[in-house]
Amino acid sequence: MSAEQDILQELAGREYEFGFETQIEMDIAPPGLNEDIIRFISAKKQEPEWLLEWRLKGFQLFQKLTMPNWQNFKLPEVDFQAVSYYAAPKNKVKYNSLDEVDPELLRTFEKLGIPLEEQKMLSGVAVDAVFDSISVATTFKAQLHELGIIFCSFGEAVQEHPELVKKYLGTVVPQSDNIYAALNSAVFSDGSFVYIPKGVRCPMELSTYFRINAKNTGQFERTLIIADDSSYVSYLEGCTAPMRDENQLHAAVVELIALDHAEIKYSTVQNWYPGDKDGKGGIYNFVTKRGICKGKSSKISWTQVETGSAITWKYPGVILQGDNSIGEFYSVAVTANKQVADTGTKMVHIGKNTKSRIISKGISAGHGHNTYRGLVKVGPNATNARNFTQCDSLLIGDRCGAHTFPYIESKNNTAMVEHEATTSKIGEDQVFYLNQRGIDNEQAVNMIVNGYAKEVLNQLPMEFAVEAQKLLSITLEGSVG
Amino acid sequence: MTTATKNISFNEALPALFGAQFSTGGWFTGREAALKQFLALGGIPTVKVEDWKYTNVVPFFKNDIQVTLPEVPEVTAAQLEATGLLLPDTYRLVLVNGVLQPHLSQLPPATQATVSKLSEAGSQPAVERYFHQSPKIAGFHFAQLNAALFNDGLFIEVKAKAQVEQPIQVVHLYLADQPRLFNPRHLVVVNEGASVQIVESAAGIGLTDNVVINSVTESIVSERAQLSQYQLQTGGSQLRFINQNLVEQKGKSLYNNYTFTLTDSDFVRNNLNISLNEERTETHMYGFYIAAGSQLIDNHTSVDHRMPHCESNELYRGVLMDKATGVFNGKIYVHEDAQKTNAFQQNNNLVISPDAAIYTKPQLEIFADDVKCSHGCTIGQVSDDALFYLRARGIGEAEARNLLVKAFAFDITAKVTIPAVRKQVEQIASQYLHA
Repeated sequence: MSAEQDILQELAGREYEFGFETQIEMDIAPPGLNEDIIRFISAKKQEPEWLLEWRLKGFQLFQKLTMPNWQNFKLPEVDFQAVSYYAAPKNKVKYNSLDEVDPELLRTFEKLGIPLEEQKMLSGVAVDAVFDSISVATTFKAQLHELGIIFCSFGEAVQEHPELVKKYLGTVVPQSDNIYAALNSAVFSDGSFVYIPKGVRCPMELSTYFRINAKNTGQFERTLIIADDSSYVSYLEGCTAPMRDENQLHAAVVELIALDHAEIKYSTVQNWYPGDKDGKGGIYNFVTKRGICKGKSSKISWTQVETGSAITWKYPGVILQGDNSIGEFYSVAVTANKQVADTGTKMVHIGKNTKSRIISKGISAGHGHNTYRGLVKVGPNATNARNFTQCDSLLIGDRCGAHTFPYIESKNNTAMVEHEATTSKIGEDQVFYLNQRGIDNEQAVNMIVNGYAKEVLNQLPMEFAVEAQKLLSITLEGSVG
Repeated sequence: MTTATKNISFNEALPALFGAQFSTGGWFTGREAALKQFLALGGIPTVKVEDWKYTNVVPFFKNDIQVTLPEVPEVTAAQLEATGLLLPDTYRLVLVNGVLQPHLSQLPPATQATVSKLSEAGSQPAVERYFHQSPKIAGFHFAQLNAALFNDGLFIEVKAKAQVEQPIQVVHLYLADQPRLFNPRHLVVVNEGASVQIVESAAGIGLTDNVVINSVTESIVSERAQLSQYQLQTGGSQLRFINQNLVEQKGKSLYNNYTFTLTDSDFVRNNLNISLNEERTETHMYGFYIAAGSQLIDNHTSVDHRMPHCESNELYRGVLMDKATGVFNGKIYVHEDAQKTNAFQQNNNLVISPDAAIYTKPQLEIFADDVKCSHGCTIGQVSDDALFYLRARGIGEAEARNLLVKAFAFDITAKVTIPAVRKQVEQIASQYLHA
């Protein structure tokens, strides 16, 4: 037992070590936030005048807005003037071969079952030119192009499809939504743009993986996805491998727009650096994500697996405007060590016969704190609106916390709203049952946690789901003794 | 009498009024500090304060509202009888404008309980020990306002091991000829191993204007003691209630709270804050409200599980009709050391009219791992299937609906252990449902 304890201790106390000795090709704006920097970014990206105006408006709002104080954690001070808002293009090459990469990181990759070439890409090893030229990505791109699907970086979209960008940018998440959304709209670096034309079912999962030219989109990412009438798209963000990044603050904005009969499925797996075991140095993940079911019978589904970041603070929501539209939110958030997650969703029912479903599973271990904060709002015209919410919390250890703040507001008498929440720990009898069958504690806890999160993991695309399962085990490694 | 000029807000006018009336007199020396704290909290809370997000009280504190010490007019036994609130087989304490009226009251035997005016209880050791001592009281706007301005109230101390056989009914009567703020203040101490049931009702007599009653009760349940409190908020179209009940539970004690809001009052806000300070306590909270017209009924409850092996159970149900608004906020807070906690909370709402609104927020904050906590919350209508079932058996639609609503309320009323209370509640509830 003691040997096992030692290993667990070691794993729990494991630190990410990752040098950033990189030879970056310098093209960096000086730190600081002012109008000149915004003009500089806009000029660098050769943006049209209207977008610059839009950015400047965002900056004005940013100056006016104040930091929120309702969150359930201590908001760290962020010095916005110390950040450099433009740093591109970056030289991704950090190592010449995998042998130089931190062996600990490689072990993690192995556990996740990530292919060798992908490992190189993720850890910053120079990718084989041959591999690159025949990469899956280029093949996929041709296929998408044939169907008329636009999938490119945000910068490209501004140049090539300005009419679409102009029409939809900021319509779901207004610049004034919150201070970080305002900041993002002023200084956003790049991101993804997706347009699915009428009646097209996107044949593959779109993922930032495959978008070669957008490997490092930076800390102020902006994503805009538009699904035109009767189209379907599934989009994957992030990856299960530990992402390291020298930017501590991440303030991305994601906007989804589903028109008549369209469906958007957005899956996130987030495993950014969570900081050391005292919570120092981890990433702040302050993201604004929102979708609108604009057309009738449209559907937006958010799935998220959040295991990384020192602080995760986001509420992917859906505005159910079109009649018969459906919004879904599936979430697993794991907090270990000193991690904090304050996450949840907003479902705003406006149209008739709108339905929403929220499944949130929080797991807290060590000194982690997990908060579910949700809003279900039924407007006076949302006849026959239906909501089902389930938020469960699992506690591992006696120094962690689980919190639920569900806001439910109904102004319609035909609405049916249900909310249920439970908090519990892993049952000793469950662990004992598995022990009896020759499964050790660590494995047993893994099995129980995976079973607990299954409802959400099942929503992920197949390969992602397998990886996410492993990821859960790795994150919780060492939190049970 | 001082009347504030029209363009000064209540908060601004308060210090001058306070200076003139309250800064001297009485045994309680904390009035000025309480006023300061009230103003430091921002005075009357606006909707920007999280706890008052859906409940705008500012319009109820127009600046013609009187905050001076109320007079205590004579009330006859006939007037008391006419309120229709009196329950049989109870001890009876009648308060007029917050002041105990011995000639109308029927006190429990002195061997079992001490009952007196709070203003005359300053030398009681229990008052010294417990009055205005609740740990969270500093954060409550209206409790601070009450501490600064209260005129009188009840002091009830149940002697150790005394079993008070009959329930004690407390009837609060309010008389005023102008808009007025009343600040009654009560302290209930149940000593070791004692047991008592307290039923509170309120009524206005000959009110011509709306009055606001900002009532604060502190209740202490000692080791192995049992306390049941009933709030029967019935009648009273011109009464607006802001109730605060701060309960402290010690080891192995049992506390039951029943809050029935079946009133014509256009505004009721109940704050029930229970703190479980020692191990192995048991707590039950039951609430039932019917909101009709343009009523606003707001129930805020919080339970602090501070120690291990405590159990709490909460069930609130409401029926919303016409243009009424219902607010429910239930908070369960499990502190780090409160292992083996069982906490259960449920809020169900039946929304009958298209113009009614409901805001509900069941909240859990948990810092201990070996706990079982759950909460549930629903908003819905009378089931069409159930309605069809009844109509297929020859029951008219209105009647069928009433039956179903009654069944919905039954889970709560069935918990009432005093038959007379249950009868009164069921009667009044069906009056509202038939109207």
